[in-house]
Amino acid sequence: MSELFVVGISWRTAPVAVREKLAFRDEELTGTLQAMTAGLPVAEALLVSTCNRVEVYGVAKPGSDATGPVRAFLATQRGLAPADVADVLYDHRGSAAVRHVFSVASALDSLVLGEAQILGQLKAAYGVASGAGTSGPLLARCLERAFGVAKRVRTETAIARGAANVSTVAVDLAKRVFGNLEGKHVLVVGAGKMSTLAARHLYASGAQRIVVTNRSPEKAETLAAEIDGIARPWAELERLLVDADVVISSTGAREPILTRTLFKRVTKARRWRQLVVIDIAVPRDAEPAIGEFDGVYVFDIDDLEKVVAANLAERAKAAEHAGRIVEHEAGQFEHWLRTQGVVPTIRALRDRFARVAERELQKTLDQLARKEHTPAQQREVVQRLVQLVINKLLHQPTTALREAPPDEAGMRAEILCQLFDLSPVEPAESAEPDEPREPPQALDRVAATPASPERKAAT
Amino acid sequence: MTTTSERLLSVAPSPAFWVAVIAYTAAAAALLVVLGGHTKLRPLALALVGLAFVAHGADIGWRGTQHVHPAQSVREALGLLSFIITGGYLLASTRYRLTLGGAAVMPVSLVLLVVARLTPAGTAPEDLSTLGRIHISLATLGVGVFALASALSAIYLVEERALRRKRFDTLAFKDKGAPLEALDRLSHRLIWVGFPIFTVALVLGAIWVSKLGESLDRPEYPLAAVTWIFYAALLVVRQVYGWRGRRAARLTLAGFAAALLVLFIYLVRRMAG
Repeated sequence: MSELFVVGISWRTAPVAVREKLAFRDEELTGTLQAMTAGLPVAEALLVSTCNRVEVYGVAKPGSDATGPVRAFLATQRGLAPADVADVLYDHRGSAAVRHVFSVASALDSLVLGEAQILGQLKAAYGVASGAGTSGPLLARCLERAFGVAKRVRTETAIARGAANVSTVAVDLAKRVFGNLEGKHVLVVGAGKMSTLAARHLYASGAQRIVVTNRSPEKAETLAAEIDGIARPWAELERLLVDADVVISSTGAREPILTRTLFKRVTKARRWRQLVVIDIAVPRDAEPAIGEFDGVYVFDIDDLEKVVAANLAERAKAAEHAGRIVEHEAGQFEHWLRTQGVVPTIRALRDRFARVAERELQKTLDQLARKEHTPAQQREVVQRLVQLVINKLLHQPTTALREAPPDEAGMRAEILCQLFDLSPVEPAESAEPDEPREPPQALDRVAATPASPERKAAT
Repeated sequence: MTTTSERLLSVAPSPAFWVAVIAYTAAAAALLVVLGGHTKLRPLALALVGLAFVAHGADIGWRGTQHVHPAQSVREALGLLSFIITGGYLLASTRYRLTLGGAAVMPVSLVLLVVARLTPAGTAPEDLSTLGRIHISLATLGVGVFALASALSAIYLVEERALRRKRFDTLAFKDKGAPLEALDRLSHRLIWVGFPIFTVALVLGAIWVSKLGESLDRPEYPLAAVTWIFYAALLVVRQVYGWRGRRAARLTLAGFAAALLVLFIYLVRRMAG
């Protein structure tokens, strides 16, 4: 039976210096996938390549092992010797592969537990595979289930709760004070990289206006242009502080800029409206004392890091619960997979039986229609029909059983006994291949004397 | 004191009262569990608050059928007050997550209700005039609104403290309750609503007392005036000087403490006869 497999590399097994060598650009994905399904024993394939992982999810062709060839393929595609990356590549098959895919989708395998990007990246990769025609029914089912599991994990556990990086924590803290940031004014003091990130997050959360001020006006202009803000001269700082709701400060100044004396004037002019000051500069731009003014909330880089650490610790706790969900869902998926394997067989068996019965029934009906039958004759016709159907249905299995090679005959007989719940009474008497001749005879007799089937069965 | 009034004052609590008591207790417990991190139970906790509110209302209604007016005495008014508080809380929690506030408000409502129903009835003036009834009704309504504003201010102070002191591991922080600005604004609006009601109640009360010919030197009268002064001052400094946040919240609580003291003195006086 065809089997799911995973071959890949991730932040767990290799540093970025190695991962980047194996990474695929978006435009390379389709060609790579098609090459894989064309040249390897791979029936279905999906390739996800992010900064933290490069993985192939696939289905091996029946009876073959695909992981070895895929490992070699990945290496040679990137111009590496397969032996060089043998240690950093991992592979999973069957149930382990299902668990892996579910864990990845649920961000349990992510560097930042519970992060939201991986799900989107997986969905995109799935889209590419579908477009390339390399995603089949099994992979589709597995991925769709994985997306469902990821959703369940996100809603039922705390894995994605609490901001996991400094700039989202800054937004989170501002929301504690203002609820939503719509219409709020953000003031960026200094033009550091971190402040750009935080300002972007605030803007994305609905902040109305971003004003940038910096000692060097050129830098202020550049940053303002970058984040759709307005640059204002440094001399206006006090007035800008009065207008702002959130201040992000990250200057390179040696001395505090947001001083107590400045804030004494500012808070009064603001009439003590709430002001959130996020100070991510080291050394700090804000004197801690300004946090004592009514309505002023100051958070320095340590505070933000502390929140991040606490949130990540909460996520780690939730990971255990999430792991149980993944385990349960993977079990369910495997169950589905197993039943899926026999469904076509069941369908074919039923079709065959129905066809035989239909054909014989039609013949009999035609025969009945041709001329008048007495009730006794009708009865005989029906009996013959039943007998005919049974014979036809049993012909093939009986022949197969009788003509089976000696080493398989016993197993086939055993399976038949199990399937039909038989308990052969005289297995010891004649284990010879001509023994199965008995049942058709018995059936003939049953047909001949239908009135006493029980007695016949007893003999 | 006629036997009729005796009977009226000591009407036994209805079954709905007991349902309300159990629902209040369960709601407070459920809200604490939600605070503990079982956020899935939040709808259940709010449903319990709803049940308590409905049962409480049914109890007041039932007493009405027994000719016990919700504003006929301070004791009855307390029951109405806690009903108003619960209703206000329910209304506010449709908009904000006020788990912490609920865990604080539910016990208050419960205690007020139990005090209103299970304390000895004592004796009350039989000839409660329309003026007196209106006074008690309005005073209860005004104090109820102030109580809600105070609850919001109390939540504000707890949350503000956690944020200012960076207590990122405390319940007040983890609960992610209503944002500070909203709490402050809502509290302020409620005081705007409660203040005129309370003012009218105060004036009617003064007229009522002077009509009865009683003297004005009882301690609750100046205390009621103190409550009024607190809230009047709050509205003025807020409007004129832009006071808000911590200072406003503290003043709100101070005013409410004075109002509670007035209620307490009334209650003791009635019970003592």
